[in-house]
Amino acid sequence: MVLSFFLHIILACSYLYIKEGQVMEHKDIGIYEKVLEYISLELSNTLSKIPAIYKASTEEIRLRSGAPLNIYCMNKDYFVTREGMITNDKEKGVIVERSDIIKTFQLISNYSVYAFEEEIRNGFITLKGGHRVGIAGKVLYSANGIDKIKNISSLNIRIAREKIGISDKLIRFIIDYPNSIHNTLIVSPPQCGKTTILRDLIRNLSSGIGLLQGKGFKVGVIDERSEISGMYNGVPQHNIGPRTDVLDGCNKKDGTMMLLRAMSPEVIAMDEIGSIQDVEAIHEIIKAGVKIVATVHGSSVEDLLSRRSLNILVNDKIFKRYVFLDNSLGVGTIRSVIDGDKFTTIEKGVIC
Amino acid sequence: MLIALKLIGGFLIIFSSTILGFNYGNRFTRRFENLYLLEQCIKILETEIVYGAYPLPDSLFNVYKKGNKKVSFLFENIRSNLLANKEADVFNSFLSVVNIAKEELNLKDKDIELLLSLGRVLGSSDRQDQEKNFRIILNQIRLLQEDAKMEMDKNEKLYKNLGILMGVAIVIILL
Repeated sequence: MVLSFFLHIILACSYLYIKEGQVMEHKDIGIYEKVLEYISLELSNTLSKIPAIYKASTEEIRLRSGAPLNIYCMNKDYFVTREGMITNDKEKGVIVERSDIIKTFQLISNYSVYAFEEEIRNGFITLKGGHRVGIAGKVLYSANGIDKIKNISSLNIRIAREKIGISDKLIRFIIDYPNSIHNTLIVSPPQCGKTTILRDLIRNLSSGIGLLQGKGFKVGVIDERSEISGMYNGVPQHNIGPRTDVLDGCNKKDGTMMLLRAMSPEVIAMDEIGSIQDVEAIHEIIKAGVKIVATVHGSSVEDLLSRRSLNILVNDKIFKRYVFLDNSLGVGTIRSVIDGDKFTTIEKGVIC
Repeated sequence: MLIALKLIGGFLIIFSSTILGFNYGNRFTRRFENLYLLEQCIKILETEIVYGAYPLPDSLFNVYKKGNKKVSFLFENIRSNLLANKEADVFNSFLSVVNIAKEELNLKDKDIELLLSLGRVLGSSDRQDQEKNFRIILNQIRLLQEDAKMEMDKNEKLYKNLGILMGVAIVIILL
């Protein structure tokens, strides 16, 4: 009797688990298929035939003229055959023609190159849904720097998958009781989920979940590369919380001054700091008594110290928390949290 | 009795040939009018693209809304064609309205050619370049308008009068 009762519970749990898994996968496949709408008909037909597990986990779709069609998923790269099979053999991959690139670029730019002048000059276009398309080709200069990119040869479509709740476990380390947060720097190698974690952290800080008294902060986001909010036509494509203001495409120095002057933020978030100007901007933020959350490329404290601009920040003890990421257990694994004053490890190992 | 029948028949002949003449004559007026409306539409499109920088489908829809519907429906057709067919490019979508433009708007081949040349460049370059192309096309459309006006002045009255006179002539012969 008791045994069968437990058996039932186990069955129900496993059923629910599977169901949730399917739902998650469905959503991810949906995102993938939305992205395919921006790819030329022939290639999107091929890409729509790949197995569902790859659809759900594809991070990048890479089109290079004259080279085989390439996708990145689960930290590996694969070629795609004309039948939609995944292979490691580059000879079998379907070759991307120049016409495919031209057609795809037309779809991405919505037949309106003129509307994306500025974006093309910066080397990428943001799609609806916050996906980013990197562009490479022949760069033409004018008196004021890069004028335009023509003869486009490569497109890199990065599929943005927001992972809501990924920073829930992190937030307790950065709260400064009673009602403030520590200045935090998220450090990670590329493709380990820096921006994803930052985005979710912004959402959490802004909506006040996990914070004392449940009160959220006014968050100002300087989204230089349109990656955090994925702004499309003035509407953020990702959930970034109800108290968040976004300066889209603005550089960090100008953005900091604008936010501090006019938007009275309590927290400023920015992606990929590194230049001397960024350091100046961060000093401005500290001077104004505003907290900062930022990300940077790197994998260890020594890594940060070896860079001149970041060295200043580390030695001035501006950041009170360093969060190190890797992808040992999937994208966005938190490896360790380090105290910025004493450089002692607060939490080590995977936090969950 | 016979005379009354003859009179009625004669009137009918004159009436129908007059309508025929008017119809033929009006084609020249319609071409001129439509070219003028087309110019307005292209000007709206230029504003949408060069100053508004709206994406092409939105721009085309705005032209449809703001322009005179007699002509601006062309742009809505182009837009729906563009959005419906993934393989289509802008030029193909312009090609898809050629027949309608010819039949319903009384445009000549050279007018159509101008419209197509707009389709060839639309959206494919940056704003400065688009502006230059618009300037060239608007200049050309003005030339076409002059051409249409000359033809209108020359032929409209001619065909109208010819219609009436033909009718009269037929009636006289038959009488």
